[in-house]
This record gives sequence, C-alpha cells and structure tokens, in this order.
Amino acid sequence: MKLDDQKQTPLPCESCPVHHAGNLMKLGVDMTDWDFVVALAGNPNTGKSTVFNALTGLRQHTGNWPGKTVGRAEGGFDYDAHRYKIVDLPGTYSLLSTSYDEEIARDFILFGQPDVTVIVVDATRLERNLNLVLQVLQITDRAVVALNLMDEARRHHLEVDDHRLARDLGVPVVPMAARHGEGIDLLLKAISDVANGRTVCRPRRIQIESPAVQQAVTQLEAELHDRFPNLPNSRWVALRLLDGDVQIAEAIRSGELGNLNRAETVSQAAEVAQS
Amino acid sequence: MNPLTTLLLATVVIAMAVLIWWPERGVLARWRKTRSRAEHVYREDALKHIHKSHISGRRPTLESIAGVIHLSLNETAAILADMQVDELLRIAEGEIALTAKGRESALHIIRAHRLWERYLAEETGWEEASWHGQAEEMEHRLQPAELDALSAQLGFPTHDPHGDPIPDRTGQLMAYDSQTLTTLDADTPARIVHLEDEPETVYAQLVAEGLYPGQIVRLIGSSPERVRFWAGGNEHILAPIMAENIHVVLLPEMIEVDLDKKERLGSLPPGATAEVVALSPTCRGSERRRLLDLGLTPGTLVQAEFQSPGGDPTAYRIRGALIALRQEQADRIQIKRMEA
Amino acid sequence: MINNDKHADLLQTAKQLRWQAGQNFHDQLMEDIYAEAARLADRSVTRPDEKPRFDLDRTIDQIVTHPRWGFLLMILLFTLVFWITISGANVPSGWLATLFLDMGHPWLKEMSALIGLPWWLDGVLIDGMYLATAWVISVMLPPMAIFFPLFTLLEDFGYLPRVAFNLDNIFKKSGAHGKQALSMMMGFGCNAAGVIATRIIDSPRERLIAIITNNFALCNGRWPTQILVASLFLGTLVPAYLAGFASAMAVVGVALLGVFLTFAISWGLSRTMLQGEVSTFSLELPPYRPPRVWQTIYTSLIDRTIFVLWRAIVFALPAGAVIWLAANGTIGGISIAEHMIAFLDPIGWFLGLNGIILVAYIVAIPANEIVIPTILMLIVLSTSMGDAGAGTGVMFELESGAETLSLLQNGGWTTLTAINLMIFSLIHNPCSTTIYTIYKETGSKKWTLVASLLPLALGFVVTFFVAQIWYLFAG
Repeated sequence: MKLDDQKQTPLPCESCPVHHAGNLMKLGVDMTDWDFVVALAGNPNTGKSTVFNALTGLRQHTGNWPGKTVGRAEGGFDYDAHRYKIVDLPGTYSLLSTSYDEEIARDFILFGQPDVTVIVVDATRLERNLNLVLQVLQITDRAVVALNLMDEARRHHLEVDDHRLARDLGVPVVPMAARHGEGIDLLLKAISDVANGRTVCRPRRIQIESPAVQQAVTQLEAELHDRFPNLPNSRWVALRLLDGDVQIAEAIRSGELGNLNRAETVSQAAEVAQS
Repeated sequence: MNPLTTLLLATVVIAMAVLIWWPERGVLARWRKTRSRAEHVYREDALKHIHKSHISGRRPTLESIAGVIHLSLNETAAILADMQVDELLRIAEGEIALTAKGRESALHIIRAHRLWERYLAEETGWEEASWHGQAEEMEHRLQPAELDALSAQLGFPTHDPHGDPIPDRTGQLMAYDSQTLTTLDADTPARIVHLEDEPETVYAQLVAEGLYPGQIVRLIGSSPERVRFWAGGNEHILAPIMAENIHVVLLPEMIEVDLDKKERLGSLPPGATAEVVALSPTCRGSERRRLLDLGLTPGTLVQAEFQSPGGDPTAYRIRGALIALRQEQADRIQIKRMEA
Repeated sequence: MINNDKHADLLQTAKQLRWQAGQNFHDQLMEDIYAEAARLADRSVTRPDEKPRFDLDRTIDQIVTHPRWGFLLMILLFTLVFWITISGANVPSGWLATLFLDMGHPWLKEMSALIGLPWWLDGVLIDGMYLATAWVISVMLPPMAIFFPLFTLLEDFGYLPRVAFNLDNIFKKSGAHGKQALSMMMGFGCNAAGVIATRIIDSPRERLIAIITNNFALCNGRWPTQILVASLFLGTLVPAYLAGFASAMAVVGVALLGVFLTFAISWGLSRTMLQGEVSTFSLELPPYRPPRVWQTIYTSLIDRTIFVLWRAIVFALPAGAVIWLAANGTIGGISIAEHMIAFLDPIGWFLGLNGIILVAYIVAIPANEIVIPTILMLIVLSTSMGDAGAGTGVMFELESGAETLSLLQNGGWTTLTAINLMIFSLIHNPCSTTIYTIYKETGSKKWTLVASLLPLALGFVVTFFVAQIWYLFAG
C-alpha cells in the first residue's frame, strides 16, 4: 500500500524496529521475546478492547461504557513470521489535558516509541475521533487508523470514504467491524506493512491559524531541531512547551527527550549487522 | 450504668470531637491558624497594605494599618518601628513609604497570594469564595523558590483568577488604568478587569451575581441607593458600596457590544440548535480542558436533545456524540442560537 | 546537573515565546485541531440527505429518560435483576453447601484420619481454612455468577449511563456524581466490585466519595445475616401471618438506611474532607448496541465473578486458620477466643451487642459470609454446650430456625441484640477484600484508612445510641 507519490525518504533500515527497548522496559513492557510493539489508542467506547481481543484472542471485557480500560492490558500475536506485542492504552478523548489516563497513553506513545500505533476510531462519530487521531499523528508517524464500527455506520446510513481519509491523514485506514471480525485481516496486514517499513506514513500536521502562534511554534521547533536533530516530533514538543507542559519541559531538562531519536536504533541495527 | 448518663456523656463527647476536629472551622484548625499569625505575618500584611494603598493613590496611615492587621495602635506602631529599623519602610512627617527592600517584600507577598489563588482555581476543587482566605494563609508560608516552582507548574500565569496581574519574579507588575464601576458614565461600554476580593463577603456576593473579569458591562443608571448595570446578558442591581469593588476599563468605541443577545447553553430548550461562541473565563482548569476535549470549541454546533427527568443534567449532541452536561456547566458556555 | 544548564536556555526561549503565543494558547490549539478534524470528516463522510424518520436510539432514549416511565422502568429492571439473583441463587447455593459442607467436610475429615494427620493440623487445615473458604464460596459464588452477568448485559446495551443520567440530579445534591448510582448498585452485589466500578467516575472528588461510601450498599455477603436475624427475632414479634412481611420489611429498612447513609455521608464528605479535590462532571451517553449475550456472560464471569471470588478466597483461607486457632489455642486453660470475648463483653454491652459478636466481626473481617457461623461456633464454645454444633472451634449452621434461635437465646441474645447486629452488619468496616481493593484503586493509605474507619466509628455511634435509648425505655 503506497500512500503518496512523493519521493520516499528511505528509512535507515527498512525492516528494523524503531521502538525504544530501554524506555519500554521502564514503562513495564518487556520486549525480549517480541519483534515489534504495537500500541492501541482510541477514544473511549469505540470498541478498542474488541479490536484488542480480535487481534489477540484474549477475552477482555468490553463494556459499552466510556472509559472502561483503566491502566493497561497487554497481549500478543504472530503475523507473517513476526511476533508482535500489543499494548492496549486507556481510552482518551485527547492527549493534551493532564488526566492520569492521558498521561499513560501519551507517555507510552512518546517515550516507548511503538513500532506501530493503531488508533481505533468510531466511524459514526468521525469528527470527534479525528481529534485524537490528529494529536497522535503529531507524536508518531507510524500509525494505522482502524475505522471501527462500520456496521453501526451502515445502520445509520453513513458512508465513510476510507481511501479519501487515508489520503488526507497520510496513514493507512482500515474499515472494520471488529465485533463481527470484519477487517481484522486487513488491519493485521496494515500493521505489518507499517512495522516492516513497507508503508511509509506522511501524517497530517495540525494547521495553526493564528500567525503569532504560528511564528512562535516555528521558531521553537527550529531551536528544538538544532538541539536534537534526530527528535522525530520536534513540532509536537514545541506545541507542548508553548502549552506550558511541565512534564515535557522536565523531559528536556533531564535529557530523556533528547535520547529519543532514530540514531540509537540505527546504531543498534549496525551492531546487529556486524555481529 | 444509667443509660441517661451514658447518652448525655456520649453526646457531649461527640459534640466536642466535632467542635475540635471539624475541618476549617474546628477548634484545632482555628488554633493552627492563629498560631501561624506570628510577627512576620503582621509585618507582611502591613507591607502589603502600604503597597496597595500607594498603588491606588491612598495614603496609608497608622490607623489604616492597625485596622488591616487587627492590632492596637500601640502594637502597630511598635511593629512599624521595627520595620523601619530593618529598612523596610521610611516614616517621615506622618508619611509612610516603602523602601526598595520593602517594596520587594510586598511584591513577593502579592505574588504568592495571587499565584496561590490561581493554583486553587486551576488545580483544586475549592470553591471560589474560599480562595482568598486560603491565599491569605499561604502567602506567608511560600518561599520565592517555591513560588517559581508553582509558577512553572501552572504554566507561568500572568493573572490571578480575579484578573489581577501576578508580578513576575523581578517584581514587574502590569498595571491597569482602571476606574470603579460607580464612576462610569451611563451607557458607556466597559470591561471588568478586577473584582476586589476584600472584604470577602462583598466579593462572595459579586461572584454570586455571576460577575467576573473580562465581562463587558454597561451602566444603566446610578443613584446613592443603588447602581443598575448590564453584565453578562443580565441586569444587575447593587448597592454603591458593592459596585465600588468592581473595577473596569473603558472599551475602545469601535467594539460593537451585543450585551443583551449573549445566551447561555443552559437556556437552550430541547430540540433547539446553537453555535458555541465562547467558554466563559469562569470555566477553568480541568473543567475547561474537559469541555474543550469534548469538542466545545467556538463555532461548534450544539443541539439540546433531552433533559433528565429531574430537569438536570441535559443531553446535548456535540460533534456526533451525546454528552450530558449539568446546568452550571452549560451556563458557562456562551452560545448564539440558530434559526430552526 | 550538566544537562540542567545545557537546555535551560531552550526552556527560557520557550517561556518567552509563550508570551507571544498568548494566554489562551490551549483553547486556540484545541480549536484548530477540531477545525481540522471537522474539515477532514466533512470530506470523507457522506451523510444521508434526510434524517431517517425513525431513529431507534432516540426512541429508546425518550422512553428510558421519560419523566415518569423512565423511573418506573428503572425500578422494574433493577427489581427484576435483584429478584432473579436472589431467587436464582438459592438453589445452587444449597447444592454447593451440600457438596462442600455436608459432604466435602466429613469426607476430608475421614481422609485426614486415614492418613493420620495430627489433630492440630487437621483442625487448622480442614476445620479452619477449608471450612471458611467453602462457606465463602457457597454463599458468594451463585449470586455473583447471576448478578454480574445481568448487570453487564445492561451495561453493554448502553442502559446504565442513562441510569446515571436520570439519577444525577439526586446525587448532585449530595455532592456526588450520577454514576455513583451504578457503583452503588454494584455494591449491592459485592462492595469490592462496587469499588472497582467507581473507575467510570473520572472526577477525583466524586470518585473518592463513591469509594468511601460504597460500603453502605448492603452487599451479598450481608443479606443472609440480615434475613436470618430478622426472621428469627423480628418476625416473631408480630402475629404469625405477618411474620414474613415484618422481617422482610426490616431487611429492606436496613438496606434503605444504607442508601440514606450513602447520601448523607457523601454530602458531608464533599463539604469537609474532600472540598479541595478537583471536581468535574462528564457523562457520555453512548449509542445503544445489541449486547452479545453469550460472550458477555462468559467475560463477566471471568472478569468480575472469578476475580472477586479469587480475592475473597485469598483472604478467607488465613481467616479460617485464625478462627480455628483462636477457638482452640489456649492461654491458662482458656481459649484465646474466650479471653477476647471476656475482654470485649463490656464494650459489647454499651453497643447493645456482646463480646461474641465483636470477636466474630474481628476474626471474620475477610468475609461477612462467615460471621453467623463464627458467632454460632463461639456461643457453643463459651457456653460449653459440648453437644451442639460440630466440635470445638468448628463453624457450623443449624438446619432449623428454632434450634438456631434457642442457641442464640442461650447466648444471651435479645431483640435489641438482633436489631443492633443488623445495624452493625450494615455499618462497620468493609471486609478485607474491599479494603485491599480500595487501597489498590486509590493508591492512598489515607483514603483507605478513612474508608475503613469512618463506617466503623459510625457503626459504634449508631449502635451505642440505639442501645442506650433502648435501655432507657425498656429498662
């Protein structure tokens, strides 16, 4: 699946994982027996847990209650000779506020650098769900959108153009009805394509309307880029700093954020290649 | 044992326990409060009062200071003399003036007070009327380094929740050229920049009226008995002594004021649709962030769907989702009603 | 430390730029993101030209939130759920009791005699740990296995958020959240599950209120105690044809007292201890979805029933051992339990209870289910009625009510003891499973302590006043 016709910048190593094993360990995820880590994000009540169960075969209870999964569930699956660990993040409306759930989800995507982040969205309430999608796409450029509850959308006579959405968002979009097992195979393939670098995402960036803010963001982003040339999401970090996010400022101060770059994984890959 | 005796005894014991340990108002809480009113508290309150008097163009006197710190004139004079020795103030020919060092301390206290109010507003659930009292306590305890940390945690705020500027670390204070509502000409639109939070009872009443900094007001008329004005889409009537605690600045004339048309989401009847104009500034902290997360940004279409059998909350259709909001939340969202 | 200096200037720049970005940066950013989301959604979603004339969700909502029918439906549904639970649980509870207690216990005793276990090991393991656990399972499992799936079905359908919506106004008045209605309802099944269910409340203050007051929902483990005591002591106070009705009313009265206390304590907490906690309200009413019955039953059994049961067993095992040891371990020729009873008897008198009841509540803290068996065992122990019961320090229940009644009366029970036991059973510290769950959920020792001691203190106060007033008028 190719998403754009632009020239693709080749990754340092097309098939090697990007996740940050050390940070994942700190977040409580052991990657010893796994090739890739997949994070599962999404608004509450979008069938995220159903998708999780469909992927892993686990029977986690999936309630019709906003905000059901508290904390984190983990599972795993094999696909195409690779072993994937999947982490179900708490359902949140946003990643910009400061609730505990949002912090868990945000920290995992930012510091854990999952190889793929699957964002489960409710096809019947796309506008609201895209809010979270856009926010996640500021942090990571390795994402797949699972357009869930297509059965409900059909029931309400809604037509959702997933190709168009994929083009607009710059990441693969998989229409599915996880309750009935529809679209799971496509989702698996999309995950594997992104994880292995066969699909390269060009995620949509948030447009900022106010010129004053725009200028502030650009300036700060440039400074961040100078300081940490390998930081994959300097623009998002700039936005967080301008929002007065103490945690992100702390992560910069402690150097934790500076460590988040591709360089490490490249050198790891080089080591693996040499041995 | 006689049951009557045990009953009486137990009632007394429980009553005593409640009196002693009741949070805020119990004997223990009060005792802690008074114990903390050490000498430095009197000094700091005096500094604050002198500074505020200078800013508002009043003359601080021994009497006014004694009134503020609740001490006798003699005791107050002694404290002022000590402060003079410590080069915090100068007294010459009845004029009491702050030295540079004194002003610095005064600004530190003001900063502590306003930052703490901001903290209470943003990060706790304390009711608005209790902010001032708590800040009065905390301002004497916070050290400059703690203030820096607090300021950082709150995202370096520039104003306290009443609209007062918070001095920065170097004591820089943004001043307003404000006047009180009572001195405003009738029918001249103005914006509230500050509600005086002392005395507390008056402040509580202003809050209860639904007034807050940033609101646009227009005086309808004033007499020695009462002041009538429009604010926030409602007509208010206050005694002049209360209206004096409302500080306003004149609006540039170009701004078209549509005071009367501003409606709140809370008054939208089921079935009607409206566009969100703004979230009220009184909606703060996590409450505000939550509403924004739900997509209640300006320009959003909201439809009132149905009410709970008790009349509150009401379910609104917001960006495709059905969200229940309580009356007081919905009242913090300004809307423009759409024609059906 | 070096890092500190290295990036301080960057953070300084950020700080200055924040002035340029303005105070309402967060608002603006959210506005921009949502504007973008709306644009994208508009481009890819085609809505039907006309609104369908029949909107199922809206129709259901109109019924379930109807000013009159909404409440009626709610009461009917929950009555139905409780009725199915209570009537459906009796039979399997009996089976389990027969299997574990009447058959399993003697069989185990025979086995231990066969392999020649020393008497104390046999006692601790079989009369203590096994019996306590078996009791908890046979009383607890059937109602939970029925109640939780039913509740979960309502949840999956999307009905429960509407209940919270309907009842929010009432809860708001006591400073709580409408969703507390659900954690409370869950608490009638099991307080530990009720505490877990408070996760749906995302406002810190209201969630703490719901956790601390959940114990006032009369849980499954306490219903049998209430029913037994009410029918033995209160049913006999009225003419025979009214006995059943009177005792049922007494039990319902206690449950309603619990509901009243929930509101009263919520009100008090929100105005005192919890004033400073952040409070926000949000309640999403999700679309209705047809529940998938079998999967729901399966997952709710796994998720809730087994989970809660497992925790209860973990706590019941050591409790069984402690109960047996207290009854059989002796100091100066008198058992530890009797020492405790003698010590607590005067306190018990003040509360209109007695030492035995207090000891039973101390050793049976892991599960309310074993309070009555422990009480019976302790009465036999302390009145030295060697022939009654199942042997020293072995918990038991009697087949006939009359026998139980006469045993309790031998133990000095009066109508006041019965009334105060019912009150104390409602208002005392949560069972250890619940306390542990509260600690897990709040992560705070302070709130765990408050949630445990507040009801206990309240229980002492209420029983004390009832007892003293009783003594005053009844002599």
